[in-house]
Amino acid sequence: MMFNPQVIIEKLPELGSGLFVTLLLWIAGIAGGVVIGFLVATARRFGGFATNAVLGSVVEVLRGTPFLIQIFLLYYGGPFVGLMLDPIPCGLIGLTVYSAAYYSEIFRAGFAAVPVGHVEAAGCLGMTRLQTIRRIQIPEMALIVLPPAVNLSVILLKESAVLSIITVPELTATVSAIGSQQYAYLEAIFILAVVYWALVELTDRLGRAAEYRLSRLRFSKA
Amino acid sequence: MTFKLFTLLLQAAVSTIGISLVSIAIGFVIAILLSAATLSGKTIYSAPARLFVSFFRGVPLLVQLLLIYTLLPAIGLNVPSIVAAIIGLSLCTAAYQAENLRGGFSSVPKGLIEAAEVTGFNPLQIFARIQVPIALRLTLPTLVNESIMILKASSLVSVVGIIELTKMAQDLASSTYQPIPIFLSAGLVYFVICSTIALLGRYAERSMARTSA
Amino acid sequence: MLKRHLLKAAVGAALLVTTAFSAHAADDALARIKAAGVMKVGTETAFAPFDFIDAGTHSGLNVDFFAELGKDLGVKIEWVELPWDGVFPALEAGKFDFVAGPATITKARLERFKMTAPIAEATVAILKKAGDTLITKPEDIAGKAVGAGKATAQLAQLQEYSATLPTKVTAREYVSFNDAYADLAAGRIVAVANSLPNIAFVAKQRAGVFEVVTPAFGKKSYFGFIGKKDADSASLVEYVNSEVIKMKKDGRLAKLQEKWFGTTFDTPDEVKEPAF
Repeated sequence: MMFNPQVIIEKLPELGSGLFVTLLLWIAGIAGGVVIGFLVATARRFGGFATNAVLGSVVEVLRGTPFLIQIFLLYYGGPFVGLMLDPIPCGLIGLTVYSAAYYSEIFRAGFAAVPVGHVEAAGCLGMTRLQTIRRIQIPEMALIVLPPAVNLSVILLKESAVLSIITVPELTATVSAIGSQQYAYLEAIFILAVVYWALVELTDRLGRAAEYRLSRLRFSKA
Repeated sequence: MTFKLFTLLLQAAVSTIGISLVSIAIGFVIAILLSAATLSGKTIYSAPARLFVSFFRGVPLLVQLLLIYTLLPAIGLNVPSIVAAIIGLSLCTAAYQAENLRGGFSSVPKGLIEAAEVTGFNPLQIFARIQVPIALRLTLPTLVNESIMILKASSLVSVVGIIELTKMAQDLASSTYQPIPIFLSAGLVYFVICSTIALLGRYAERSMARTSA
Repeated sequence: MLKRHLLKAAVGAALLVTTAFSAHAADDALARIKAAGVMKVGTETAFAPFDFIDAGTHSGLNVDFFAELGKDLGVKIEWVELPWDGVFPALEAGKFDFVAGPATITKARLERFKMTAPIAEATVAILKKAGDTLITKPEDIAGKAVGAGKATAQLAQLQEYSATLPTKVTAREYVSFNDAYADLAAGRIVAVANSLPNIAFVAKQRAGVFEVVTPAFGKKSYFGFIGKKDADSASLVEYVNSEVIKMKKDGRLAKLQEKWFGTTFDTPDEVKEPAF
């Protein structure tokens, strides 16, 4: 069998558009997930028993079921209850909700790791609760939260490949379609592996660099 | 959603559980070897181990499974679907478990290892009887999490021809035209399995803490 | 279930070793199948009425046909079920001996594979939502979203047809045709392009939900089963082909067509020059 990745690389415009959709969904999914995840973690910590219990169960269900099942339910089940989403918005919402559940757990652990003394001290100094969250808890959390958050982002990039199954024209869908058309299956899988691997390595490196800068920033202020 | 359909889902769930458990166990053994290689301090062992971890952490499982299923025959290794699925899941989880174990190993107190050396343990004994048990206890919570991740990830192995819970749900959803009850039921089955793993994990943690006290 | 899988895996591994050694003893694919007593057939199970899962049971024309073939040849049929875009790569990788599918006999495929005599017509037409007055003839899909299965000849024909329309259609590629039907029912797409026997079956199963739009827009084409083109598979392809012809002559094929399509097709014994 001839191994000729050229036949896929020649389809650069299609490859590029697949990569674009993947990056778009991934980055938007992370952004949405971080924001919602933080709100959920905050609400669970400060919102009282009932809020904590309800949000906690939702998070557990989202973390205890495969992303693929959630996406199938949203995409194929949605229209039965009047929720008709096109593939890309559906993928984006699915990815955001799924990642929010995981990010909320990371932030929850982050909150728990900030010493109670620091929070109490802020209170004694007359800071409001919002000020305490913004000026004490978030900065202290950042360093604790960063490594698992980067790890989760990598997992989400890889989960986004699953969206090919609901016809989202992302990288995996595009490249495997070119592979089928050109009878270049192995080449397609090979190119997919290389592109994802490169993206993950890049993300890891950026994460480590951010961690390094953050730790220096903190110690220089201290 | 009839009783018969639910029984079919449960039957498929047996495949899901079986494949996941076998993969987690094989992955764990590979992970121990990988972390030993990484911690050996010899580049000849640690470099390939690092490359392995980086690759299997870096490539989506969907792509890994296709790679194993269609690429291995090109080098003369034609494995059946079930073997391809288990290899894919095992290698993927091995990479993650190795990372966790590495963290666990580096938290084993140096003093303990030195004490064992003085007592006359050889390096293999130290590894098997001191480092592995302690690292295992330290990393048990992450091992439980990883098991849940793999159980969920097994929803993708139908791309190499395995009929498991998700594939069965898909088939039933399209033959009954009732995606909501079918996918909700499948989700429920996954949730029950994952919660059981989490519960067992907490139980194991508690009993381990007791035996060490 | 798992135990059986593991056992299969072990047997498979053992076979792998033995076949490697006995490759010289049994000289080609057909001889090996006879020796092993098992023929492995790859397929996709979302292609009713040829191949589908009926409340958990694998059924359809393919299952019946290969059961007959297995009886004639004296071997057991073992099915490998994959998503359609994974079936051809797996055939080339040697995961199974033959592909059921079936697949439309096209020029591109004949260059790469061997295909049997036709088992049914494959001409492509459009399935729409019942009562959709905006689509009464094929060209009405211009400018709209239409679904088809990934890596299928039906998709290729849809794209070819789309290029001849005043405004192109947005072709959505689904992992399986079942997903496309579900999306048609939901209303995300206005039509599904698939072969007539398939959509006629679906429209009958779900009368009041779907409707076939006539005439067909695709060129006249036929479905066949698929084998490898190499010398090793030559006698196997010849055998499966002769079975198709045999069942056609003794009326078994017509009976199967009647059972699954409610009608019979007049198919040639060989497609030398596919229409596309």
